Amino acid sequence: MAPPPAPPQKSPSPSQPSGKSEVSDLKLQLRQLAGSRAPGADDSKRDLFKRVISYMTVGIDVSAAFSEMVMCSATSDIVLKKMCYLYVGNYARCHPDLALLTINFLQKDCHDEDPMIRGLALRSLCSLRVPNLVEYLVAPLGAGLKDGSSYVRMVAAVGVLKLYHISAATCLDSDFPAVLKSLMLTDPDAQVVANCLFVLQEIWNLEANKSEEASRERETLLSKKIVYYILNRIKEFNEWAQCLVLELVAKYIPSDTDDIFDIMNLLEDRLQHANGAVVLATIKVFLHLTMSMTDVHQQVYERIKAPLLTLVGSGSSEQSYAVLSHLHLLVMRAPMLFSSDYKHFYCQFSDPSYVKKLKLEMLTAIANESNTYEIVTELCEYAGNVDVPIARESIRAVGKIALQQYDVNAIVDRLLQFLEMEKDYVTAETLVLVKDLLRKYPQWSHDCIAVVGNISSKNVQEPKAKAALIWMLGEYSQDMPDAPYILESLIENWDEENAAEVRLHLLTAAMKCFFKRPPETQKALGAALAAGLADSHQDVHDRALFYYRLLQYDVSVAERVVNPPKQAVSVFADTQSSEIKDRIFDEFNSLSVVYQKPSYMFTDKEHREPFEFSEEIGNLSLGQEPVGNSPRYDESDKDLLLSTSEREENGGPSTNGPAASGYSAPTDYNSSLVSLSSQTQSETAISDPGMPKYTSQMTLAIDDLLGLSVSAAPAPPSLKLNPKAALDPGTFQRKWGQLAVSISQDCSVSPQGIAALTTPQALIRHMQANSIQCIASGGQSPNFKFFFFAQKLDGPPLFFLVECIVNTSSAKAQVKIKADDATASEAFFGLFQSALSKFGVL
Amino acid sequence: MPVAASAIYFLNLRGDVLINRLYRDDVGGNMVDAFRMHIMQTKELGTCPVRQIGGCSFLYMRISNVYIVIVVSSNANVACAFKFVVEAVALFKSYFGGAFDEDAIRNNFVLIYELLDEIMDFGYPQNLSPEILKLYITQEGVRSPFSSKPSDKPVPNATLQVTGAVGWRREGLVYKKNEVFLDIVESVNLLMSSKGFVLRCDVTGKILMKCFLSGMPDLKLGLNDKIGLEKESQLKSRPIKSGKTIELDDVTFHQCVNLTRFNSEKTVSFVPPDGEFELMKYRITEGVNLPFRVLPTIKELGRTRMEVNVKVKSVFGAKMFALGVVVKVPVPKQTAKTSFQVTSGRAKYNASIDCLVWKIRKFPGQTESTMSAEVELISTMAEKKSWTRPPIQMEFQVPMFTASGLRVRFLKVWEKSGYNTVEWVRYITKAGSYEIRC
Repeated sequence: MAPPPAPPQKSPSPSQPSGKSEVSDLKLQLRQLAGSRAPGADDSKRDLFKRVISYMTVGIDVSAAFSEMVMCSATSDIVLKKMCYLYVGNYARCHPDLALLTINFLQKDCHDEDPMIRGLALRSLCSLRVPNLVEYLVAPLGAGLKDGSSYVRMVAAVGVLKLYHISAATCLDSDFPAVLKSLMLTDPDAQVVANCLFVLQEIWNLEANKSEEASRERETLLSKKIVYYILNRIKEFNEWAQCLVLELVAKYIPSDTDDIFDIMNLLEDRLQHANGAVVLATIKVFLHLTMSMTDVHQQVYERIKAPLLTLVGSGSSEQSYAVLSHLHLLVMRAPMLFSSDYKHFYCQFSDPSYVKKLKLEMLTAIANESNTYEIVTELCEYAGNVDVPIARESIRAVGKIALQQYDVNAIVDRLLQFLEMEKDYVTAETLVLVKDLLRKYPQWSHDCIAVVGNISSKNVQEPKAKAALIWMLGEYSQDMPDAPYILESLIENWDEENAAEVRLHLLTAAMKCFFKRPPETQKALGAALAAGLADSHQDVHDRALFYYRLLQYDVSVAERVVNPPKQAVSVFADTQSSEIKDRIFDEFNSLSVVYQKPSYMFTDKEHREPFEFSEEIGNLSLGQEPVGNSPRYDESDKDLLLSTSEREENGGPSTNGPAASGYSAPTDYNSSLVSLSSQTQSETAISDPGMPKYTSQMTLAIDDLLGLSVSAAPAPPSLKLNPKAALDPGTFQRKWGQLAVSISQDCSVSPQGIAALTTPQALIRHMQANSIQCIASGGQSPNFKFFFFAQKLDGPPLFFLVECIVNTSSAKAQVKIKADDATASEAFFGLFQSALSKFGVL
Repeated sequence: MPVAASAIYFLNLRGDVLINRLYRDDVGGNMVDAFRMHIMQTKELGTCPVRQIGGCSFLYMRISNVYIVIVVSSNANVACAFKFVVEAVALFKSYFGGAFDEDAIRNNFVLIYELLDEIMDFGYPQNLSPEILKLYITQEGVRSPFSSKPSDKPVPNATLQVTGAVGWRREGLVYKKNEVFLDIVESVNLLMSSKGFVLRCDVTGKILMKCFLSGMPDLKLGLNDKIGLEKESQLKSRPIKSGKTIELDDVTFHQCVNLTRFNSEKTVSFVPPDGEFELMKYRITEGVNLPFRVLPTIKELGRTRMEVNVKVKSVFGAKMFALGVVVKVPVPKQTAKTSFQVTSGRAKYNASIDCLVWKIRKFPGQTESTMSAEVELISTMAEKKSWTRPPIQMEFQVPMFTASGLRVRFLKVWEKSGYNTVEWVRYITKAGSYEIRC
């Protein structure tokens, strides 16, 4: 772990701990001091405590001195007390028995006459986080909330939230939320009000799924009465509390336009606040309130521009990054409104690259007829930037602007000048762009081809650029005198070409060239087809064979297929759907904006868990047997995640809402093919007819061991399942992505079930005995996740897919069923439940 | 939730934990290992200050030789989190006087733990105002021997006023001599093209105030900004006095300023905190007076020689002068030998930043100075590639000059006891990012 720190120059004690002897030495010294009432005792105690804390910080376990520390804590010195509280808070969790020792003196301190000590003691008491000490918390908390000192009330309010997280039931039963609510509406101290507010928000948010009442309470927090009450006091709050209040107001739904203007007038001066977080929070309120009023919304944009631009320029680069991300979002939504402010987005040489990247994107977005010249001139400056990724990014930006505009003349010239810079990466990026440009503006081919023709293919190494060059060679071979010969030399070096993408393009280009200039290309085409047929890459081989057969069949048909007259591309696909963009906008002033994706994509369990799975390579098993190549599945899991997000961004065929999209099928099938082939082993294991018998015996044995009565299970419904059902993981993933959730239910798990789950294999075998196969499982205590499937015995092959998440600490299981035939899923759920209950899980 | 930070870590550059505070249980204790593995030990470090690993987001910033990392598990408010870190560092600095670095943390870890407990509770920011916190966290920091700032004496009989209507000022302050110091500090940002056009230019200024005033004084500040003057003449139905007025693009104020009055009357009135604080910040893009013009000519003579000629003109008043002028002219990496001729100051080649560095200690107004240098280069394999020239950068400070032209017209102090105050106003303009392409 962390190595010991350098000896602090000022500290009176040497901080180079040698280990246990040091700790026992400390214990001894502490013990000697414990009872001492000598005048200098507190000072020597301070030094000792400092040493203990410094060891603790470094990561040395000093919990052995717990009882001595507690003994020494009887002091009136507040610094000593604080150090002692810190120590206790750190070790109480792993030594609950020792924590009990501290309760006494903490409770005593809660009645101290000094409000500081009362507050500190109460905070420490709530921070012990030991579940079985909850009973000692309720009384001091209740007293704390009624304390005369605002400091203590402030601490107590947060203490309620801490209690809620240790034991929600105790917190709710003691009726603390109601006390907080009245405190929030009456307390004279603004910080107490603010603390009550966020505690209530958090509690009701977490409770809202569980009870109607909680979700009603959550609504009340957003009622006009409360929002106005807090808004009227906003100036009393400190800056952080203001952020909190503004966050609340942003969620408020105004009753009419007067309401909207009242709030905006009240908050307008917040835009001048020195704290950027307050300004951003205010902006969020303004934007959200005016969503339905187009004109005002636009005025809001104008109004918030100046403060935002100021924020970008002040503070550290991290802070300006946070602000720029938001500005980026607004610019993307309304580029027109920012078109005259383009100079603010010019990159400084010293800007970090993450800032430059955002600025480049904004410059690209706001380019229009009036400012294109300046922006492109500026972007061209960056093309020679020392920072290569930024240089590339800026060339791409120039290209994007060219694709947006009608007046591309000047830009094409600039791009062609890039080619003359003779820098490999500049040439590479530019070639790709010129290709895209030609697809949209074929009329520029003459100018471009003249320059592109001069580029030696030997100077182009990057696959994407090479492919682009080859594409142009094929497409415009009639205008480039050397085209057939360049292609020929490229084909000669076929074996040295590593990228399949380039070889594919080479085949196509040779074909196109052949149709335009047959005599010159015939030899090269022959060589290309021969090399392609011998190629080890499947796609290259297939394409070569396809071309060959096509030519064999009819040359004119082949020409129509390979080289048809093309229409210019008018619009290139947008990368992100508007629905996603709106969701991000809804979550203004949060991480979503920085990540440029809605929060469910990075906080939701559904979306997160695949990632966590992939981190726990060792814990994941496939099918019912631990298969050696499980990491392979893992890779596909990662791919899944990746393809999901891409899919979302592409706004591809809609998946079944956020819940289902976590396991949608990969769009790029190549990646899953790899994992498929590696999983054949497990697949055969699943369909092995010998297996069910063996496992059913196993599970019966386990049932007996657990002493469960089978009779308790509900009568099995008429649905029959195929005991030998087989489904490969690829198909499972695809189906999971396609189908909608037909049943989603939470169940509680019995303690025996939890005990049995320490070996998930047992459950898997048991389920298999009930004709429900497990396809993948994983997780670590307390969360386990299983994917099951089953097939209907008779009729067409109809599958049921199940995702089952068991949390052993909360004793809850969440079951989600998807079915080919949704009408039968009810019956299947019955079977599934009875199977589970036989195992004791339900 | 604005920020429910789950944990905060202070790491040194090697990745050792100096101090950590776990506020919530929703992240594991090994989060710092994830940060080390996935961010510190990879090239990712400088690429983005916000990163997601597993289900957690890491927001980090480097301050001197310390990384401060905030770990959150929810969709947190980024701007708030970074602002919190910046404010927390300012708070620590005010406790241990000056530097914030690894040594300062090690020497003051108990104090920092104490502060961390107060400024954030269960992941929510509480009070970060040094004025308030110093009332009840009176432990003195260990100061570095170089800081000469005297320690603020704790006020023994201060009533515990954690929050309240005037949260930034405590009552019962008494000074023998009532003084106010105003510092107007501007930084000029310039981006000039190689052809001498100003591509972008703005001034970000701040007004720093140091108050040593008794009681609960009410202050009013008058500037020569256009809107404020117009409003004033409207109210007093009197024409604007002649003189330069300036237009502020945007202003932000310290929380003590009454923003309602600013919006209605355009006056800056406030009850100041005791001691030093930043009263307001502003930004100006129109009518900026650039203090220096830089005219570079760089000639590449063949493949191994370069001639660099830089002329710097000062265009502020002849009675004023600039201090600490530094001009950095980038040269190629393969620079072998340099020789200089300067009309003032000193120039040398700094190989670690690949720049010719020309320093002039004192630069009077309305004068010019030149540096001519010959640079010899080693011929290398990569000579075919043309050298992309980074911009020339400049540093300077010009006292008693404001690039924006902003002036303090008056500063009025009212207090019920009616004492007299002494006001001191200083102006200074510094180079922000002053870049000239060549």
